[in-house]
Amino acid sequence: MSQTYVGKPVPRLDGLEKVTGQARYTVDLDLPGILYGAVLRSPLPHARIVDINCDEARRMPGVRAVVTGRDFPYTFGGPVKDQPFLAIDRVLYVGEPVAAVAAETEFAAQEAARKIRVTYQELPALFDPRDALGETAAVLHPDLHTYRRASQYDIVPGSNICTIRRYSTGNLEQGFAEADEIFEDEYYIHAVAHSPLETHAAAAQYSAAKNEYTVWTSSDRPYRLATVLSEALGISLNQVRFHSMFSGGGFGGKAALVAEAVAVALARFTQGRPVKVVYSREEELTASQTRHAAFMKLKTGVKRDGTFTARHADVVWDNGAYCSLGPDVAYRGVLTIFGPYRIPSIGLLSRLVYTNKEIGGAYRGFGTTQATWACEAQMDVIAEKLKIDPLELRLKNAYVDGDLYLNGQMMRTVGLKDTLTLAARKIGWGSPKQQAAGSKRRGIGMACTIKPTATPTTSYCFIRINQDASVVLLCGSPEVGGGQKTVLAQIAAESIGVPIGSVSVPHPDTQYTPFDDAVGSSRTTYHMGNAIRMASREVREKILVHAGKILGRQPEALRLSEGSISDGSGAELMTLEGVLQKVVPRGGCIIGEGQYSPEGSPLLAAAPGQTAMSSIFWLFATHAAEVEVDSETGVVRVLRVAAAHDVGRAINPALCEQQIEGAVIMGLSNTLFEEFKMEKGRILNDTLADYRLASTMDLPQIDSIMVESMHEEGPFGAKGVGEPAAAPTAPAIANAIFDAVGVRIHNLPITPEKILQAMRQSAKNPPVQD
Amino acid sequence: MNHLPPFAYFAPRSIAEAVAMLTREGVGAYPLAGGTDLLVRGKRGHPFAKTVVNLKLIPELRGIEELPDGIRIGALEVIAALQRSALIARELPVLAEAAERLGSPSIRNMATLGGNIGRASPASDMAPALIVLDATLTVEGPTGRRTLPVESFFRGPGVTVLTPGEVITNFLVPKMPGRSAATYERLGRSQGTECALLGVASLIALAENRLEAKAARIALAAVAPVPMRSKRAEAALLSGPLTEDRLWDAARGAAADCMPITDIRATAAYRREMVEVMTLRGLRRAWEQAVGGRA
Amino acid sequence: MSIGIEICVNGLHHQLDVKPQTTLLEVLREQLRLTGTKEGCGTGDCGTCTVLLDGVTVNSCLVLAVDAVGHEVTTIEALATDAGLHPLQQSFIEHNAMQCGFCTPAMILSAKALLDRKPAPETAEIKQALSGVLCRCGSYKKIIEAVVAGGEQMRRER
Repeated sequence: MSQTYVGKPVPRLDGLEKVTGQARYTVDLDLPGILYGAVLRSPLPHARIVDINCDEARRMPGVRAVVTGRDFPYTFGGPVKDQPFLAIDRVLYVGEPVAAVAAETEFAAQEAARKIRVTYQELPALFDPRDALGETAAVLHPDLHTYRRASQYDIVPGSNICTIRRYSTGNLEQGFAEADEIFEDEYYIHAVAHSPLETHAAAAQYSAAKNEYTVWTSSDRPYRLATVLSEALGISLNQVRFHSMFSGGGFGGKAALVAEAVAVALARFTQGRPVKVVYSREEELTASQTRHAAFMKLKTGVKRDGTFTARHADVVWDNGAYCSLGPDVAYRGVLTIFGPYRIPSIGLLSRLVYTNKEIGGAYRGFGTTQATWACEAQMDVIAEKLKIDPLELRLKNAYVDGDLYLNGQMMRTVGLKDTLTLAARKIGWGSPKQQAAGSKRRGIGMACTIKPTATPTTSYCFIRINQDASVVLLCGSPEVGGGQKTVLAQIAAESIGVPIGSVSVPHPDTQYTPFDDAVGSSRTTYHMGNAIRMASREVREKILVHAGKILGRQPEALRLSEGSISDGSGAELMTLEGVLQKVVPRGGCIIGEGQYSPEGSPLLAAAPGQTAMSSIFWLFATHAAEVEVDSETGVVRVLRVAAAHDVGRAINPALCEQQIEGAVIMGLSNTLFEEFKMEKGRILNDTLADYRLASTMDLPQIDSIMVESMHEEGPFGAKGVGEPAAAPTAPAIANAIFDAVGVRIHNLPITPEKILQAMRQSAKNPPVQD
Repeated sequence: MNHLPPFAYFAPRSIAEAVAMLTREGVGAYPLAGGTDLLVRGKRGHPFAKTVVNLKLIPELRGIEELPDGIRIGALEVIAALQRSALIARELPVLAEAAERLGSPSIRNMATLGGNIGRASPASDMAPALIVLDATLTVEGPTGRRTLPVESFFRGPGVTVLTPGEVITNFLVPKMPGRSAATYERLGRSQGTECALLGVASLIALAENRLEAKAARIALAAVAPVPMRSKRAEAALLSGPLTEDRLWDAARGAAADCMPITDIRATAAYRREMVEVMTLRGLRRAWEQAVGGRA
Repeated sequence: MSIGIEICVNGLHHQLDVKPQTTLLEVLREQLRLTGTKEGCGTGDCGTCTVLLDGVTVNSCLVLAVDAVGHEVTTIEALATDAGLHPLQQSFIEHNAMQCGFCTPAMILSAKALLDRKPAPETAEIKQALSGVLCRCGSYKKIIEAVVAGGEQMRRER
């Protein structure tokens, strides 16, 4: 049966607000009596706070509160609660919030913050996680063992290892013994900034009478933040309320308390007046969160025919000063380093290591980006040595339906091979190479990736049909840019049988919208979509029962489509509005409730005790890139990217394309232009002039291909798309550069200087043919 | 919101008034042209003006016109005007080429030629082109007016020969010699708007026999404390008939002459290497255009 | 030091008190409450503060309010009228040319400035005209498609 909305490029519900400038983001928020916050930050990477003198600051005109960590000595964090709201007795990175000011104007708050006098005693600082692993390295979190934490993570007290994971399957020693060739390679991926166009911003208001906090945020997970906040402050969840606004981009950076922490600490002391904290671009780049840098050692055993026998991965994650969501990145995301490939024996050592730098947090891909870099760069090294085409090597080892994942979960709806062949075909894999023009050399390369979704997680929703047949979708999924409102409205409209124009999707408000885990991990279409399906079924049944009574017909004989009730013949019998007028003539509504969690699903079955590693769906993607390298300057231009993604089902193909296109550009930008230039823990390039993001001038031709593998439990077959899109671009570009000029870059970012250096090296040492 | 620090403000209506105000206000008084450099400095918390003297309301500082001895460009003409001027496209195309590469479209609508040169950034995109065109600028100050070559205007990064109370009022760019062409090459890591890693302007004027150069000027940006000419490169080009080898010699000369530093954007070694590469490219294009151009 | 100025924004004249250091961006967002124009960096690098000054794009974060006197300022709020949306706004919606939407007003104004001056630009010219507005969501491809379509509609309406 053809669908009205699902599978169609329905224009975004928030389009009109955004093109008219009416969409309001947290930075645009204005409230009666609002105060503005400014932050004083540590200039040192590691120091004890000896004294803080706020006297002069407090006397400045317009100042209403000056707050330090001693005034608000709570801690919060991700799986390990290691982070203060404001530094209490020491600082662990340049930019750490030490004190904050709330004042009548932002300028007054900034001026007052400059008058706060802090005396520090500098301590030795660690900038390289490998140094931090050293025997004699200073221990940055000596109280690690006292922190509140989630029990499934292993910490290493007395060291700089925040969390550690060891995991293995099969028999590694035997696997390597059976190999015809063993490859040992080291890869490095650098930290990058999320740098959304809307900087981190939040507002908070405190009610002393009820000991309640209200927070306005652009976060992608207001419920999780509410939980973190209530836990940190020791108050109940119903004493914390988060309002979501439109978000000007997050990409994972707004998945934790950042500006919110400062706003909350200030609001506690402003006698009920709300406080807004807006990060400057400098603060955004240097003092919010980053992607984790990682050092990855990959040892892989292969048979001559290209079959894998074993792989060991040793990954050291550069955590920065506080762990945030790092433990999850280092626990789950890291597994993508084994690729979407059948490898009988694997071993993993994953260590999340503290350093005195900006906090590493959730970043699009959640660890899979880093892991894919190493895995897919080495794939091409293996292909070259074994003289197997890189596409063939991947196809040979790629998961197919029926394969077992590392933990024994059966892989289903695996669209991986289709993504490989379609991306390859689109880029012209195997076509004769274009002649070099002058100094320009062209090359083609590819990479693929696998990404799970956090499992199990839960989404709830309420659907309310008003007495005039207008529909309200009450769900806790903020609009972070991915078109969440639109896709969820499509699913609701299709599932209930109403026109999409009658569906409104208000911003989440944790007071009224029911729980949702997060907009993250590419989970929203699937989980919230299923919750909406369930709630839709309930309201639809209620409507048809009512209609049946009114019309004197069996509900089973009736259909509801586009707000019209008909029987099998197609003739309209009555409108939905008509039904409601009869059912609730003096006002009222019809309510449906939906709740979805994959917990207990037979799809998650795995080896005994290993279900925790299962994912309710697996995402696969392949990017194939064509690059042009100027062999005299080393400058790389990405000409074309063919990006094929297994999305399960494209509920809205245009929105899927947006995610794919957007992630290709982000991946290209991260890989070729973005890099933190550090000096003693301080980031020197703290403006967008010197921290380069891709512009329209860097846009390659992007061909997005959606593979629909039709997940059996997903809404209309859907899985997800946003996260994995970030991963394969870097290795695809690097592999294409090898095809163009014969050099391999192991350490990101790829810069013109590295390419020229590598070309020079390989000219001096031509590869030995055996 | 990223705020500017407070300052005293004047908006003179004539050059004389501007000079008088700057002189009177003394140290800490800065002239404001487009604002794309000065105001950014203020926003970034760098040492900033106590007094701002806004030059935008002075009509004598504007205009692009043909004069007997060259093209006059008012100091307050915006970079976008240089890009769009039919006169410049016809007579001084390398200026338009450089203008096109500066910043973003919005920055080009605001930034001025006088501001760009007055800022004296070693990486100025406009300076090398003005230098190879033998441009001069006129300065007015409390002791009167003087004219000097753009090439001699710079003393160091952000430092010029201007004395207190002086402002740049006009540029005069002579028409190009017969049988000549000039190009501007710029290197960046991306395709978009970013501070140049280096810039090279090259001018070749052919002798009547068209086999050798009768004049050659090569100017570099971002590889020395100031925009600089490469005397070695010019000498190489003038040492005999023009050949690809001679162009190579000139390019190597430019690489030898330059004094790049390592900074957050690139290493000195890379810049030096790229001076050779980009100079060669610029010279090749200039040679080709000069040979194919009008007599 | 307070200065009384009159500026024309979206066809309306406003009498305002500003300081010399007040930027046009501050006036628009804080005094006139026109929040469609954004601050993404404050230093002229991201383009989200783009407005039209006499029809050409400027970064309003680097324009002093006093320098807007005597000129026409156009913000995104001027584009939709009682008659409907501007063709560019319509085409951006139809082509799904936005994700988070933070750069959208700046993109639309930059496209308008180009199309008002050059009704049938090449793709390379469109990329150039928009090169000063960053989109971290990476909507560039669809934005360019929307500008092409919007331009076609603008020519039809002429």
